[in-house]
Parts: sequence; C-alpha cells; structure tokens
Amino acid sequence: MINANSNINTKYPAIIEMQNVGIRYDQGPEILSDIRLSLRKGSFHFLTGKSGAGKTSLLSMMYLAQKPSRGTVSVFGHNVNFANRDALAMLRRKIGVVFQDFRLIDHLSAFDNVALPLRVCGMDEREIRKRVMELLQWVELDKSIQATPATLSGGEKQRVAIARAVINRPDLLLADEPTGNVDNDIAPKLMKLFVELNRLGTTVVIATHSEKLIHDFAYPRLHLQNHGLKIYGPNDYTNMRGNLV
Amino acid sequence: MSKKPVFISRHEELPLQGGSTSLFLQIMVGIAVFLFSVTLSGVLAINSMLLNWNESILGSLTVQIMPSTHLNQDKAIAETLAHQEKALDVLRNINEVEKAEPLSDKQLTKLIQPWLGDGISIQNLPIPRIIDVKIKKGASLDYMDLAYKLAQATPMASVDNHKLWLNKLIRFADGLKLLALSVLVLVVMITSGAIFYTTQTSLGLHKYTIQILHLMGAKDTYVAQQFAKRSAVLALQGGFFGLLVGLPTIFGIASLAQQIEGGIISEARLSFFDWGAILSLPILAGLIAMITAYYTVKQTLQKMM
Repeated sequence: MINANSNINTKYPAIIEMQNVGIRYDQGPEILSDIRLSLRKGSFHFLTGKSGAGKTSLLSMMYLAQKPSRGTVSVFGHNVNFANRDALAMLRRKIGVVFQDFRLIDHLSAFDNVALPLRVCGMDEREIRKRVMELLQWVELDKSIQATPATLSGGEKQRVAIARAVINRPDLLLADEPTGNVDNDIAPKLMKLFVELNRLGTTVVIATHSEKLIHDFAYPRLHLQNHGLKIYGPNDYTNMRGNLV
Repeated sequence: MSKKPVFISRHEELPLQGGSTSLFLQIMVGIAVFLFSVTLSGVLAINSMLLNWNESILGSLTVQIMPSTHLNQDKAIAETLAHQEKALDVLRNINEVEKAEPLSDKQLTKLIQPWLGDGISIQNLPIPRIIDVKIKKGASLDYMDLAYKLAQATPMASVDNHKLWLNKLIRFADGLKLLALSVLVLVVMITSGAIFYTTQTSLGLHKYTIQILHLMGAKDTYVAQQFAKRSAVLALQGGFFGLLVGLPTIFGIASLAQQIEGGIISEARLSFFDWGAILSLPILAGLIAMITAYYTVKQTLQKMM
C-alpha cells in the first residue's frame, strides 16, 4: 500500500485525492459513485472508459470546474468544498488543461490565447512574449502567432490548446484526448512534451481512447466502468519511482 | 531568444466595447449628466447670490424712527428729529457699530420718489426717518440688546435687520437645493441602473470567455477590473457629451436671466469652484460606473464556481 511508506508521502505528496466521491446532475442518477483516488506528485496516468463513462466529469473535478455531489476532493492538499473563490483561482494556476473542444477564445490570436494563463497571473509582458514565442515555435506554430482560431486547422487549434496548458509549467496537467486531432507525425512530439514535463515533476492525467498510445507508453491506467474507477498497472507509479528506496 | 522582435498587438480578452448596450449606457449617462449639470449650475448660482446678499446684509441694519403725530408740523418734525438724535446717540455708543448715519432729506426724497413722484416736499409728509447702521466687520451684534437700548432711549425707534425677507429667500433656495439633491439621487440611480443592466447583459454575452478565464486561474477581480475599466470609459464619454449639451443650455438660461430687470438675478455668478464641480460631472459619472460595474461583476460571478 502507498501509505505504508511515509517516505513516499513526503517526497511524493498527493496532488489529487478523492474519497467516496459521487457526482450527479440535478436529480439524476450518479454518473460516478464512490470514487477513491490518490494521484501523487510526478505520476502519469491514462484515463480511459467508454463515451459517457464520466471521464469529462472526473477531469472537471480535477481542474476545479465542478464540486462533487458527495465525498471529498482535495487538490494540492486543499479540500475543494471549503476553498473560497480566490483560493480556487490560485489552485487553478497550477493546473494546465487541454480540453477536447480546445476552448480557445475565438477573437484572440494564437499568441494571446497561449498568453492567457500568464496574463491572469499578472506576469510582465516581455517575459510573456519570450515564453509564448518560444513555445509556439516548439509546437511549430510560429508562423500563425497572429492567426485567430477560426483560421486554424483542428490540429493547429489543438497545439494552441496544448501550448496554453503547459505555458505556465503546471504542477498538474490534465488532457482530454490531446492527440486526437493532430497529425501522426506531431502526436509523438506532443507526447514527448508531456513525458518531459512529467520528468520535471508535473503530474499528468491524459484521457484517451487511443489503444496505441496506452500500449506505446506503459503508464498506469484509470479506467471508468459502471460508475466506478479501476486502476490498472502500478498505482504507486511516479516518474522518479526508481529513486525510491 | 535572439530572434528579431515581432510586433504583436494585444487584444482585449473581453471585447466589451461597441454594441447597442454600450451605446445605451452612453446615452443614459449623457442624459443624466446633462440634467444634473443644468440643475447644479442653477442651484450653485442661486446659492452664490444668496451668499452675496447675506454678506452685505449681515454687515448692516436699518433703524426706523416713526414720525411724531404732533398736529403742529414744525413741532412734529422737531420731535421726530429729536428721537432720531436719541437713537443715534445709543447707536454710536455701541462698540460693534462702525457707523450710524441718518438718511438726508435728499436721500429720503429719492427713496419715495418712485411712489409719489417728483416735487414732493418731505417736510410736509409724516414719513419715518431712517438711520443706516454699518456694523464692524466680524463683530457679532446682540440685536435684542440693541433693540432694548433703543426702546429705552426712544419709543419711536424700531430695528430692521433685513433677516426676515432674506430668510424667506433662503428657505426658497433650500427648496431648490433639495430639488438638486433629488436630481442627483436620480442621476446616480440612472447611471448605476444603466451600468448594472449593461454589465449583466455583457456578462451573459461573455460567459464562455469568462469561464475560460476562470479555468486559467483568473480571479473575479481580474474580470471585474476589465468591466470596471470599460464602463468607466463609456460613462466618461457619455458624461462628456451630456456636458457638451449641458453647457450651452446653462449659458442660454444665464443669458435669459440677465435680461430680467432689477438686477436680482444678475448677481448670480458661478465661481471658479462651481465651474470645477460642473465640469467634473463626467468624472463623477465615470467613477460611479466603475464602482457599480466592479461590484456587479463580483456579485454575479459569486454564483458561478
């Protein structure tokens, strides 16, 4: 068990903890029931499950867009139920999210969209420019910095969304089908980015349907089925597992 | 990065400008500022007029000596003048009095001339004598004491300190001030109401963007500040146009007032500070807009997670 080793607890504290979590909309049945989950710092998980299994609901609790209908969710050690709005905002700044539908702001250029997480923190514009240009170059969008989402292809939009999610070097990265729309040749590059971030300490959860991805990267899997959650693979996995004694 | 710098224009995350709601806000604020600038200038002008009067009146009073009813005209005049001398004696012995001068026959004739016409001999008429009293600057005169001393000296003297009719005017001016205050309340309500309505509409319109901003870690303050800034600019613009229409109206009313005979209204002048107050109305509107928008956004966002 994870708790057996207190060394793990201090070195790899829980980034997300869920206990007896249930979620329902209005008076409907519970979409997710009795979810227990503990994701440690530096871990990397795939999140799988059929459409409608509740992947998006689970992720939205992780990125603090939703509170559980019952049970407790703690993110970075803060109980979400008791955190005030400003505290939630500060927690969200440590979380990068890639949405399945990208959620880019249509009237803003690729540059401004990627700069958003830095601007809401009040970062200096020169530093923002430097970081955003660097990242846009890395995701091969340096020619489209001024383009608005409407003029970008699906794959390009996805890369903007990913750039926006990682620009702030988040402690937690949540991605919903992040390689679904990109070309085959850029998908491995994006995965390499996630792996690299994970190596640097970012906790990563990627929701995907891609069996190939799950197969190619042997990370543990959170699987949603019958409103519950099953974990396949080593559930105490962290990026620096090898360093643990 | 050693790359050549690229010019990147920053776009507003919440494009709040433009649209019919913005125009609505500008028009509402414009009307409000117009109404208030006209009311305020009127009240300030009347106030300054009253202050002038008050100042000149506080420094003076009139003592009236009723004419003697003696049947012999010469004796009557002599008696009246004797009473006048007694009153003068009392007045000149009061410390606060700077000067006490009886009006000459010539001055009295001039005073009654508008009513009785030319060629009137004041000697033939039982009219009261008048003493013009100037009080020392800054001195506070005890009117009751003065009246008592005068009554001791002569029963024919009476004091008129002009306060009575001025008080009526002051009450009138107070009524006008109350009116201005109600207009101000109305103006603030219109401005806040318009801002509240447009902000609510705009929040609904930009819900999607605001949700994204929240997900990126924006605090409510970040969103509220953008709304507050925009509302302040719109209200400032609207207020400026309201003032632009208000100023010619004020001048128009002023020039009409100047034409009224009697010179009463012509004493109404707006001071430098009065103009300052009127010209700063758009700024006041901008401030109200800013504060209202800020708190409307904060309140509304509280309901979102």
